[in-house]
Amino acid sequence: MTRNKYDVDETLETPFDIRHLKRSLKYAARYKKQIITALVLSTFAAIIGLLSPLIVQHAVDNYMGDKSDIPMLLISGGAVLICIVVSVLLTKKRSVMMTDVGQNIIYDIRKDLFEHMQMLSFDFYDSRPHGKILTRIINYINSLSDLMTNGIVNFVMEIFNLIFITIFMFIVSWRLALVTLAGLPIYFGIMLLIKNHQRKAWQRVSNKSSNLAAYQHENIVGAKISQMFVREEENEEIHDKLAKAYRKDWMSAVKWSIVVWPSTDVVGIIVQAAIYATGLFAFRGTITLGTLLAMTDYTARFWQPLMNLSNLMNNVINAVAYLERIFEMMDEPIDVKDAEDAKECPPIKGDVHFENVTFAYESGINILENLSFDVKAGQSIALVGPTGAGKTTIVNLISRFYNLNGGTVRIDDSDISKVTLKSLRSQMGIMLQDSFIFSGTILDNIRYGKLDATLEECREACKIVGIDDWIMSQKNGYNTIVNERGGGLSQGQKQLIAFARTIVSDPRILVLDEATSSIDAKTERNLQNALNHLLKGRTSFIIAHRLSTIRNCDRIMYVSGKGITESGTHEELMAKQGDYYKLYTSQSV
Amino acid sequence: MFLIRWLWKNMEGSRRVYILGLLCTLVSQSMFIISPRIAGIITDTFIINENAAQNLETKPMLLVWLLVAMVGFTMIRAAIVYGSSMCYERASQSMIYNIRKVVFHNIEVQDAKFYDYYRTGDIMTRVSGDLDMVRHSVAWIIKTVLECFVMLTASIVFFFTMDWLMALCLISVTPIILIVAYHFQKAVAPKFEDKREKLSDLNTAAEENISGNRVVKAFAREDYETKKFDKLSQKFRDSSKDAAFTWYKYYPFEETAAQGLTVVMLVCGGLFVIFGRITFGDYMAFSGLVWTMSNPMRQLGTIINDWQSFTASAQKIIEIYYGKPRIITREDAVDKPERFEGKVEFDNVSLNLGGKQVLNNVSFTVNPGETVAIMGETGSGKTLLTELIPRIYDVSSGEVRVDGTNVRMLKLQQLRHNIGMATQDVFLYSDTIDGNIAYGDSDCSEEQVVNSAKLADADGFIRKLSDGYDTIVGERGVGLSGGQKQRISLARALNVKPSILILDDTTSALDLETEKHIQDSLKNLDYSCTKIIVAQRISTTKFADKIIVMKDGSIIEQGTHEELIRKNGYYKEVYDLQK
Repeated sequence: MTRNKYDVDETLETPFDIRHLKRSLKYAARYKKQIITALVLSTFAAIIGLLSPLIVQHAVDNYMGDKSDIPMLLISGGAVLICIVVSVLLTKKRSVMMTDVGQNIIYDIRKDLFEHMQMLSFDFYDSRPHGKILTRIINYINSLSDLMTNGIVNFVMEIFNLIFITIFMFIVSWRLALVTLAGLPIYFGIMLLIKNHQRKAWQRVSNKSSNLAAYQHENIVGAKISQMFVREEENEEIHDKLAKAYRKDWMSAVKWSIVVWPSTDVVGIIVQAAIYATGLFAFRGTITLGTLLAMTDYTARFWQPLMNLSNLMNNVINAVAYLERIFEMMDEPIDVKDAEDAKECPPIKGDVHFENVTFAYESGINILENLSFDVKAGQSIALVGPTGAGKTTIVNLISRFYNLNGGTVRIDDSDISKVTLKSLRSQMGIMLQDSFIFSGTILDNIRYGKLDATLEECREACKIVGIDDWIMSQKNGYNTIVNERGGGLSQGQKQLIAFARTIVSDPRILVLDEATSSIDAKTERNLQNALNHLLKGRTSFIIAHRLSTIRNCDRIMYVSGKGITESGTHEELMAKQGDYYKLYTSQSV
Repeated sequence: MFLIRWLWKNMEGSRRVYILGLLCTLVSQSMFIISPRIAGIITDTFIINENAAQNLETKPMLLVWLLVAMVGFTMIRAAIVYGSSMCYERASQSMIYNIRKVVFHNIEVQDAKFYDYYRTGDIMTRVSGDLDMVRHSVAWIIKTVLECFVMLTASIVFFFTMDWLMALCLISVTPIILIVAYHFQKAVAPKFEDKREKLSDLNTAAEENISGNRVVKAFAREDYETKKFDKLSQKFRDSSKDAAFTWYKYYPFEETAAQGLTVVMLVCGGLFVIFGRITFGDYMAFSGLVWTMSNPMRQLGTIINDWQSFTASAQKIIEIYYGKPRIITREDAVDKPERFEGKVEFDNVSLNLGGKQVLNNVSFTVNPGETVAIMGETGSGKTLLTELIPRIYDVSSGEVRVDGTNVRMLKLQQLRHNIGMATQDVFLYSDTIDGNIAYGDSDCSEEQVVNSAKLADADGFIRKLSDGYDTIVGERGVGLSGGQKQRISLARALNVKPSILILDDTTSALDLETEKHIQDSLKNLDYSCTKIIVAQRISTTKFADKIIVMKDGSIIEQGTHEELIRKNGYYKEVYDLQK
């Protein structure tokens, strides 16, 4: 597992290829109908748009002689106005449609990415700054918005435009049309040159913005620590460096992007000059005045789509730098997933069997080796032992948060790797060391354990953990708003709410991982009594350091040295005078 | 106007570049007229003129020169456009950089109240999406406005010099455009604010989902989270559409009016030609330039769109930009550069948070080098009590004194430099373990880091990790066990060699042997250090010089282990529970 930190650019495994674009086009393909309709509308708009210069040209050529021409002049004007109105309305319709499609595509991509994110295991979240994940799901995807809304249709339309104008030009004068087209090779040469520089440059920018987001995020979350350690100035310096790096890479990327427009402009005017020159010198007498005027107009119109296409190319190259990151995350392999033939886990009775379980976070460094033990339904098991010995790992394996490197974990008779994760985990109640509270009401947070829990059920759970009184003493009671940092809750209160959340979920197997470490002894004592009642008939695993918590368990397992070294009741282990005995006596006053 | 002034202020250092950019735009915009004008001359002289053929015979070089001039001017203009674009990018980047710096500074120094109020995802929206919107506006909106303005003015002036009546006819559509623009602007402003709010909500949901990923998995709530996020994602999508659609409602009027100039040109121009008011050449010149009027008009919608979006974002940044922390070093603060002795006194301290009295008249004294343990029920104010010392919160009444000086009279940095704190909710940075331990003093030697780790009994397990001290730990230290995190956090606090060490339930996840080891280290520190320890375990509190028992924000018991046992109160009860 390679971990990443804020100032490390993520290396990208896949080189640029057209697949990213193709893949994003697949998202567009879902809206084929609308896109095609929009294209049809655009085509009509474009044709009608092209009609007006024809009418104007005709009017200029024919209806500006004397007063008798006035009616026709007015009619021409009216015709042009109608053309404008119709093309504007068509354009409006297609813009609305494409905005709709574009935003839907953005939404679809985000949805897919988020769904995929939900399936990624702890490793994924543990191995990179959270700000980097956040910036992908929000900012990177948003940056595609313009491309998806206007890009697709504009691209096709500009190509259409080009074709139409080319045809018109050939109709008006094929010779002058050829002159116009002669500018194309120069144009493509320039674009190719720019593109190569741009691509790498924008990749660097996306990296730098990700780093910056990672660092900002960490500093928001860890603000208290920065202040406690008087790190503000130093952090600002680091941030400064990251911001400067971003600015630098932005500038070097953008210097290529903005060269596109002026260079297209120059090529365009050269072609226009060539039209005049050839029209007046070479094809003199063979073309009419109106033709020449129309041709200069068309030439300008020919370069406009090219100009737009160039800008579009800028957008695409820019977007690809983000797209590849988005797809990279979407392709992040899911380590822990349902087996193909996974079944629903039947209602759990509560037997837990570890058979020769071997596990390592990093290959080569085994945390557990050939661990075997059996727990009967309804038993309460305490896991004790030195910090870092693997107690949390053992309980994490029961919920299959990680895949085993060897051996099997079975619950009742099912191998947990053969049942669906959802059916397994939804029957487990796990209270983690880190009692994360979501922003919302206290009630929402408790209901997280059981979405359709009634207020009474939630209150019941809170009474068990002994926090009901406190919650009721708040002005808004269970509707008190809390936020991700707890916002007004003490660590102990957060743990109690997390506890209630677990109780509401009515789990078949309960795992308490340091669940009560921040709770005072008295509250814990009351909690314990309530729990004993609650634990009846449920298998439970308790990790705790307070021996008063441990003592009452049916069985105590001493975890150390990659496995379980002692196992038995409190009395048995005390009689054995081994590690547990030492641990216990050291705590006794 | 306030926004403009704010932007201007932050452009310090690159104002000249920006003005240069604007000047370049002025120049390049006025040069827009040149090429069509040359084209007009060419048309006049060599195509339409009665003597066109003759002119071509006699003055072919003139045509060549005109063409060269046309290309030449465009090239110069292109170079200027490029230059000006670079100016805008440079100026906007350095402006964003300046804003970012201030905003980040404010994020760094903001007090606890700020962080209790703002959600992480919301702040992230401000420093990412909002900031980018501001950049965009500086780089492009203002420039576009100027461009349009110049182009419009230039063409109007030009038209007037050619023929005032024709010019008036063309200008006649302007009122329609302005009226539509006014209504559009009013309609769209709230939509952008709404869109921005929805983005912030989305950001918050994603942020919490990422931070709380363990809880999500523990409860197998992936589907629920997906639905929750989906709902917000839909809202954001719909709000984005809504904002965009608003423009399309007004677009037909605006666009028809702008494009309608062509019709005005054709009809009025044609009539004037027929009535001999203008020549055909004049007509061609007018018609060749009519786009210089219609283009700026067509841009108006985009400009208003971007501007409103900018306003919505800028306001959010400004809120943080000008946000001032309430806990700061006073101007008349006492300078106390030497190491503190570590005496801590609470004198009748009360604290009121959000209208609730959380600490009531707390008084106690800890002498330098002493250890005081704080115990009490969940939510009784233990953590808040310790947080008053480094001024994470300020007292509502009473005084907290360190070395005899009110902490509010000390320099914040000096005060905090003397305090080492390990909090309950361990936060580690995604950095190496070495970097995390040395967080408070990044210049310290590796030896010192190892030493601090040894004191916290962390050296052993750190060395067993694949990269030892260079192992990168994830944000919040995930990947480490609770006890391991606590020990790193303790090592981090010890590494600054504080005069006052605050341990807020730092050993709760440690096994007893480790805890004992740590207690021994704390007793034998090679510097004088006052220790304030919040703990639930008797094994931790037993050796303290003084134990304080809190309840509902007040001290209910105070004394040594023996005294409190004899007192037969709360402490005794806890003692019995843990025996």
